[in-house]
Amino acid sequence: MLRRLIIPGLAGFAAIGGLLSYTAFAEGGKSSSAIVVASNELATVLAPEELEQVGERESFISAYRRLTESQYRHAIADIFGDDIKVEARFEPERREEGLQAVGNAQLSVTTSGLEQYYSLARSISRQVVSAERETDYLPCDVTSSKDAARKCADEFVQEIGGKLYRRPLTKAERTLTLTIWDASAEGKDDYTQAFEHALTSLLISPEFLFRTEVAERVDDSDAFQLDAYSKASRLAFYLWDSPPDAELLEAAARGDLNTLDGLSVQVERLLDSPRFDLGVRAFFTDMLHFESFETLTKDTMTYPKFSQAVADSAREETLRFLIQHLVDDEGDYRDIFTTKKTVLNRTLAAVYNVPYPSREEWTTYEFDEDTERSGILTQVSFAALFSHPGSSSPTLRGKHLQEIFQCTKIPDPPADVDFSKVQAIEEGTVRERLDAHRTDPTCASCHILMDPAGLALENFDSLGQFRTLENGDPIDVSADIFGQEYSGATGVGEYMKSNPQVVSCVVQKAYAYGKGRKNDYREGQFLNSKTEEFADAGYQLKDLFRSLLTDPKFYEVEVPEGLSARTDSASLTTKAPASGGN
Amino acid sequence: MKLASRLISLTLAAAGLSAPALADWSKSYVIEWYEPAHYYGADTGITYPGTDCPAGTNPEIDWEEVLVRSGYTEEEAKWLLHPEHPYRVPNHGQNQMAFRGEGRANVFMEPWTYPDPGLVGVSGEISEGFDLDGNPKTGFVSPDGVPGIDNEFYRTTGCWKYYRGPERRSYVAESWNDRMREGSWTVAIVVSGEGEDPMNDDNVTVAFYDSPEALVKDGNGDIARDYTFTVKPNAKFEALFDARTENGRIISTKAMDEVWIRDPSYTKELQLLKAQLDLSMNEDGTLTGLVGGYRPWEPVHDQLVDARGTVIESLTWIELPSLWYALKRNADYSPEGTDGEKTHISYAMRVSAVPAYVMLEDASEQVQLATSFRNAPTAEPWAPIEIAVKFSSVSVEQGIVRGEHGFIFAGPDAPIIPPDLTRDELAAQTMEKMAAGGGQ
Repeated sequence: MLRRLIIPGLAGFAAIGGLLSYTAFAEGGKSSSAIVVASNELATVLAPEELEQVGERESFISAYRRLTESQYRHAIADIFGDDIKVEARFEPERREEGLQAVGNAQLSVTTSGLEQYYSLARSISRQVVSAERETDYLPCDVTSSKDAARKCADEFVQEIGGKLYRRPLTKAERTLTLTIWDASAEGKDDYTQAFEHALTSLLISPEFLFRTEVAERVDDSDAFQLDAYSKASRLAFYLWDSPPDAELLEAAARGDLNTLDGLSVQVERLLDSPRFDLGVRAFFTDMLHFESFETLTKDTMTYPKFSQAVADSAREETLRFLIQHLVDDEGDYRDIFTTKKTVLNRTLAAVYNVPYPSREEWTTYEFDEDTERSGILTQVSFAALFSHPGSSSPTLRGKHLQEIFQCTKIPDPPADVDFSKVQAIEEGTVRERLDAHRTDPTCASCHILMDPAGLALENFDSLGQFRTLENGDPIDVSADIFGQEYSGATGVGEYMKSNPQVVSCVVQKAYAYGKGRKNDYREGQFLNSKTEEFADAGYQLKDLFRSLLTDPKFYEVEVPEGLSARTDSASLTTKAPASGGN
Repeated sequence: MKLASRLISLTLAAAGLSAPALADWSKSYVIEWYEPAHYYGADTGITYPGTDCPAGTNPEIDWEEVLVRSGYTEEEAKWLLHPEHPYRVPNHGQNQMAFRGEGRANVFMEPWTYPDPGLVGVSGEISEGFDLDGNPKTGFVSPDGVPGIDNEFYRTTGCWKYYRGPERRSYVAESWNDRMREGSWTVAIVVSGEGEDPMNDDNVTVAFYDSPEALVKDGNGDIARDYTFTVKPNAKFEALFDARTENGRIISTKAMDEVWIRDPSYTKELQLLKAQLDLSMNEDGTLTGLVGGYRPWEPVHDQLVDARGTVIESLTWIELPSLWYALKRNADYSPEGTDGEKTHISYAMRVSAVPAYVMLEDASEQVQLATSFRNAPTAEPWAPIEIAVKFSSVSVEQGIVRGEHGFIFAGPDAPIIPPDLTRDELAAQTMEKMAAGGGQ
């Protein structure tokens, strides 16, 4: 009759088959749609005929959002300490609508990815229960009587499981994990391995690897919002790129997060924490496409200063710069395109060809006022990521200026474009080589959006080094951007700073990043009002995040289109905040 | 204004204060490669004959013949060289090889107890370097025809396989520059002047400083340009040269009495007396040329002894006493005057440096005036040449390696053949003797 696939807190070796089944399912499914329902026992995947009834339930799982690598690492460090080695190659993330946070809500785990997670889970479990650490995490003597050890295992599963799942375990989840402990403890005098296997099962559970966002009915209405634990996770991963801490989970359990005051208290606490830097890092790592650093290469014959150290430093420079400017200095977001200030290390100072005035590893630095340096636009990260290995690329730079900072999607080029002319980089300047783009009407329609600003950044080569000549010819950095004349990087910086689209774009991205889905056109008015608030607050990043995260709309969940919100709700009563417990 | 600022700067510098002293222009660099300026006269390879060494390099040593010549029997010589000789120090060779002087004296410590085995020197007429003695009639002719080039160090070692080779390809240059490029030490250079045109200035100073920051390699394995280095004030390792520039060529205007520079060698210490330089500021931003003077010759020999004499002899293909005799024979300078003992030998080295930023010790400002930091409060104090070469795994005394028990198992009276005791038995016996006050 109904086909149900149980998704338990899978465990150890025995559970692999089950998780593979889960994987196979989820790869074919759309996990952001309401195809999974939560109960107090087990999460179950519904057969198609059940889907239509989702809206009639009190709660349903609205999204599975795979933990990013940094979120996984932060979770392990938070729960078990930062000396636990997390040695694995994580599966690539997926970018949708300009954000990995959106793409990750569409992601599952491949078979090889599961093997990696399993191997990693075993490695982490071994480290946690090792003789050096067991007293930190195991609430008992692993060689005590079996009854005592079993009781201890129950405590362990509840405590560590709750931290890993970011909510109290259900009775069924506890029972299942303890079943694994029992099987492993059978016939043993030392129960270390049983703890290891139980922990492994928790670590490869989808409840840990994915952020399960559960929607619950709001009072007796047709509206749904995230339950309190899902809110806690959304808040913590947004602002700290980490799982919720004990205080946030307690606030969720008390129902505080379902009141504006309680929510505000927690948002404020998270914003004021030094860990907020992690959240800012994660947001901009996503927004600025920094996963591309993994594959960044340059022709070292042309750019001998390039090395992996330069790439790593460039990524770090921009993140430190953004934290310094937007968080520490409470700067105006728009100034990231124009400021002469940055944060440097010795490696980057050599690339920028400036003296490194510090004995510390990193230092704040201000370029001379008369230089062409202009905020993030001329940092090595932007210049290098959006260039070719052997040459700069006004088109790539222009495209990403549009897509990253102005939320304007530029279509991919037609399949039959002849690139041979623009790739002949040995002669002349790229402006001449790109001439065809401006004269051919087919090309011009898109290139008019990209090339002018990109050409104005041509004083910076593929590594972000300043230059005035290309192949011996002077570089022309004048630009006509939508009828306005600009010159050089500083001109583009001024254009970006004064462009209202740049402001509304970061608001849109911040919202979609938190919700893990593409913004809906019906949210336009809401986003406009948030953009106005952002402007009124002096374009302060913290204010933007606070404004979004304390707004009930941020936690609203739409019942998927085509599914009825409810049929007969007469018997439904207002729910208390989901406890997640048994 | 310029004069005033310079006076203030010089006053502060003389007082040892690290003020941001100014010059009218300055350029700064970091040495990326330097090596003995040994003119190479062959077409290719290390050992092939050339105009410098018509017979090629010094021949391989027949160590059995050396031992027999030193008074060991043929049987003893064979046994001492046998890889299974139980008293050899694993990986560090046969200590007994040191005892081949008269009365089985240690030839590393007393090379004069051993007849000169001979080290064939350069017989060619061309050499890089400087006319240090001011006499154009003595010495070599430079590659571009200037007579009077004094480079007796080249004459001594130029046909030794350890030193011979095309530019940047000799064993000694590659091995020591590799260590520098991997971060063992760094030498920064500041050139400053007082004129309007850096390329043609009559008052130029060139300074060589120690720096604590390691060199950084670029994507091609070369030393990266434009990195920042701070000056580490040092009462010893600092070299200042008075010079002028002509079309970008920096030429000494006087021989500096005494300078110290890090040497690409075991001791990393190079004293130069009557030092001169001839460097070019190239269009590509690099600085290349020569630095020379008279260097003390004995440390050249002694550091190799201390770096495990028997091992060095094996690795560098000569008998070390031959080097000692040759250096002594060719030494051409005495600080005490013409009648004094010739303690120094004329020398030149090629220097190649890339553009770099050189900062004051606290990294607050660039060094814009080539000046002395010797008297800075933080300066490393003066210390005599430290010959002792430190190895992480063994200790070396008198050119001889101590084994795992701390014993040498070699000496004038050491058992040679047949070894009637195993290594462990000999160690136990030695310990007993020591306990009884007999020494080893």
